[in-house]
Amino acid sequence: MTIATFPPEPPPPANWSRYLGFSTDAKVIGIQYIVTAFFFFLIGGLLAMVIRGELITPAADLVDRSVYNGIYTMHGTIMLFLFIFPVLNGLNNLLIPTMIGAPDMAFPRLNTAAFWLVPVFGLLLIGSFFVPGGPAAAGWWSYPPVSIQNPLGHLINGEAMWILAVALSGVSSIMGAVNFVTTILRMRAPGMTLFRMPVFCWTALAAQSLQLIGLPALTGGAVMLLMDLSFGTSFYRPEGGGDPVLYQHFFWFYSHPAVYVIILPVFGIFSELFPVYSRKPLFGYVYVALASFIIVGLGLIVWVHHMFPSGVAQWMRDLFMATTMLIAVPTGVKVFAWLGTLWGGKLRLTTPMLFCIGGLVNFVFAGITGVMLATVPVDIHVSNTYFVVGHFHYVIYGAAVMGIFAAIYHWFPKFTGRMPYEGLGKLHCLLTFAGANLNFLPMHPLGLMGMPRRVSSYDPEFAFWNVLASLGAFLLGVSIIPFLLNMISSWIRGPRATHNPWNAIGLEWLLPSPPPEDNFGEEVPTVISRPYGYGSGEPLVEHQVEIERRLQLQEAAA
Amino acid sequence: MSSSLPVTAPQSDKPHGHINHNLTGFIIFLCSESVIFLAFFSGYAILKTSALDWLPPGVEGLEWRTPLLNTAVLISSSGTIMLAEHYKARDKLWLFRGFWLLTMLMGVYFLIGQAVEWHGLAFGFTAGTFGGTFYLLTGFHGLHVATGILLMTIMLIKSFIPGNYAGGEQGVQATSLFWHFVDVIWIILFVLIYVWQ
Amino acid sequence: MNSSAPSSINRTAVLGLSIWVGVLVLLSHWMGRQALHWLPVPASNAAPLVDGLFSLETAIGTFVFGAVLSVLVWVLLFNRAEKYDESDAVPIEGNTRLEVIWTAIPLVLVMAIAVDAMRVNHRLGVLGPMEHIHAHSPIEMAGGYAADRLPPEQIEVIARQWSWEFRYSGRNVSSTELHLPVNQPVSFRLSSDDVLHGFYIPAFRLKQDVIPGRAIDFNLTPTREGRYRLRDSQFSGTWFAANQADVVVESPEAHAAWLNQAAAQPLQSGLSLAVQEYTARQQRPHPGWATVPPAPPPQVNVPGSADLPHDA
Repeated sequence: MTIATFPPEPPPPANWSRYLGFSTDAKVIGIQYIVTAFFFFLIGGLLAMVIRGELITPAADLVDRSVYNGIYTMHGTIMLFLFIFPVLNGLNNLLIPTMIGAPDMAFPRLNTAAFWLVPVFGLLLIGSFFVPGGPAAAGWWSYPPVSIQNPLGHLINGEAMWILAVALSGVSSIMGAVNFVTTILRMRAPGMTLFRMPVFCWTALAAQSLQLIGLPALTGGAVMLLMDLSFGTSFYRPEGGGDPVLYQHFFWFYSHPAVYVIILPVFGIFSELFPVYSRKPLFGYVYVALASFIIVGLGLIVWVHHMFPSGVAQWMRDLFMATTMLIAVPTGVKVFAWLGTLWGGKLRLTTPMLFCIGGLVNFVFAGITGVMLATVPVDIHVSNTYFVVGHFHYVIYGAAVMGIFAAIYHWFPKFTGRMPYEGLGKLHCLLTFAGANLNFLPMHPLGLMGMPRRVSSYDPEFAFWNVLASLGAFLLGVSIIPFLLNMISSWIRGPRATHNPWNAIGLEWLLPSPPPEDNFGEEVPTVISRPYGYGSGEPLVEHQVEIERRLQLQEAAA
Repeated sequence: MSSSLPVTAPQSDKPHGHINHNLTGFIIFLCSESVIFLAFFSGYAILKTSALDWLPPGVEGLEWRTPLLNTAVLISSSGTIMLAEHYKARDKLWLFRGFWLLTMLMGVYFLIGQAVEWHGLAFGFTAGTFGGTFYLLTGFHGLHVATGILLMTIMLIKSFIPGNYAGGEQGVQATSLFWHFVDVIWIILFVLIYVWQ
Repeated sequence: MNSSAPSSINRTAVLGLSIWVGVLVLLSHWMGRQALHWLPVPASNAAPLVDGLFSLETAIGTFVFGAVLSVLVWVLLFNRAEKYDESDAVPIEGNTRLEVIWTAIPLVLVMAIAVDAMRVNHRLGVLGPMEHIHAHSPIEMAGGYAADRLPPEQIEVIARQWSWEFRYSGRNVSSTELHLPVNQPVSFRLSSDDVLHGFYIPAFRLKQDVIPGRAIDFNLTPTREGRYRLRDSQFSGTWFAANQADVVVESPEAHAAWLNQAAAQPLQSGLSLAVQEYTARQQRPHPGWATVPPAPPPQVNVPGSADLPHDA
């Protein structure tokens, strides 16, 4: 390696049109995923506004009940398959190669294909609103027999399009998973052993392993559902000898691990950001890394906790209650590790840090209600009520989405070359935290009082908490405005970012902002120490001083 | 001081001399693919054990002798593909191609046998859970056999391109792995459907 | 931040921490008691068990949440970097003993909760089995149930899109309003004519999915007189939210009188809000998206009321 040629020259100013094409550069694909995801986030959010608009009064007086059911079904489906999974894949694309010193993903063209499936099945889902009969309206779980009733009897119907879209989403995700896992296992920089790898890559590896193991089960179950819906088979039709509960097993065998696919990267984000903004190493890095895989293992054997009232045997309920409760242990290890990182640190309350702290608070709350839901006698009372809706929105919005926002603000300078505006960011954070808590906390008393979920109307005694929840939802709607304004104006004309505006330790911060197409190219630095070496004074890589100096010279010259 | 250039593994004609990770990716994909078969297998088992009238009316059971012969052919084809690779490793390309083609023909024989069996059955796809799971399992497997034959065809054609193996023979290895996978799946399927009656 | 000798810093810290932990314990205990108010009035013998478990978990949860929040508030107050201080903090990488402690304690805690819950589970099992018998099973066909738990009265519950029908098979009475005698164990036989439904009575803290193709035996004992709501809890289509019924728990005498009266009444259409709304809906030029038409209202002796106030 010759110092004179490293780091690579910064790229010429980017051309916006490459984000509309079939680039194979993971950094372009990452942005494509993220922007597409947020487009669908807005659509899903709009649907949420209709839901909360309906539920602000007890009667079903805003939209017809059939319309409400289609809307809540598509809200869940869009938020999960068109927002959360794509945005996380976007972060994977941006962060994995740069964090491990790889030039790109292992299979760049597969990467492009995986991304472009997203707008395809996105169009399929949006299109389903316009076919006769309307979109799928049986909830994002699509339980038979109600999901295969097909009232109009058409071959092309909302439910069929839903199943196809979910199947395509699965194909896209598996393509991504093969790519991410191969890249992490095979393309790390010299000297970067697994235990010198950033936690974000550990959690990505864990999450993508879950995708590989779980998704085919969903696909199998969905194929059988489609056969029942469209070709007259009876896998789940009782009249033909089928079993509706069999579908639930297939569905949840994937969909429970799916929630870990969502939260593990967020654990990774927290693990990356808390050290930077406390100027302290991650407490117990090895344990945090290993806990990710304990969560993978346990996460595959808890799915029946979504089915406690469905009539499964008592021994099954006891077993799955025990396994579900066990997951609290490795999760707790991570939470305590983050607290240990913060303790005695030198905290900087930047926007990313505030999002992480808010996300952590919401996550701990959600974890507590999660243990309650794991408890069978309590679950018998609150399952399928708003208690569950409150719980999972605390995890998804309160923790995961806040973590994703933290990641976006934190790595925005790296991949766009511009700094986001702090004031707008803090405003976004405040409105998000307030809105999320106002929206989702009231759902818990509603569930305890016995209000079922997925209802288009409710008894009058539930009105008070529903009004609060709806107000919170509208506040969340408003909270997106500073975010969008910030992203657009900062990218176009925010102050230029240096290679390491946060003074963070990591391979990605040894690249220019934004990095060149092949990142480090041929000249990947050799990693010589563990990550998060704050306060130790040790360099992360060989020749680090020269690398930093070279970057500074480039920035001064620009 | 280590460089980032690999020193051992064969290079493909990719830029920067990067190692080709195709085989790793393919193996990971195969592991994932096996789960969908596991899902169908467990669905079959659960529906069979909890059903009261498993077989459709008028159906006494499945004829197993011809399928057993087809199974023997398919299993042997795993042997022939291994032989083909054996000759490839010794650079005996024509023997490689011969055994490779033989494997493909045995695969085609299997598929034809499957089609003949389907044609002669007294029950259809919609004949209760038995009909549904039988055709789903054998059909999905048949699809994989067809895919394997297609992959083998492509590899066979590419074997005539000069310099094809300069970057390694991951395509041949991956196809062969896929073929063994399809074979193992069939063995489980055969035991599940034809033996466990 | 130095003051006097290290030993007195430790003593102050330990004392302060103990007081704070004490505060958290009191707060948690109080929250546990409050939790009981968040639940509907307890009306079955399962309710006190469920409520007790929920209250315990609320108390433990409050303590955990309070502890985490305390740490966060502390670091936000006392561990902020000075305004222009870009330097690093002390490089503490971990502490194996702490790792062991904060793995072992949560493990013991959740397993203790799980064991307690399993015990409650089994007691609930004694009260209401929640087993299912596969449709067409020999026991089913003989019209019976596991002999050792043959209840005094079995009520057939038929869930449809979108109504609830209750048949008192022994008395030849049917209704769309469930009447139960207080303090007497009752057994239900849950079945569905079409799709999945959920038999959920929040006041009883009990819920069971109703699965088409199966008849599920479900036992419980109401313990408080009053009028309660039965709500469909498993999404069942367009009028899912309207698929509710009232549950009247009354004295055994009142119950017997009701049954006698009901037996004398002619069959009439039972309650089904879905049917009413569907008829109105069909008049509209753009009714909405596709829907399965509701099943006709069950023909019953006693429709019951949809407008009386309920306790929970």
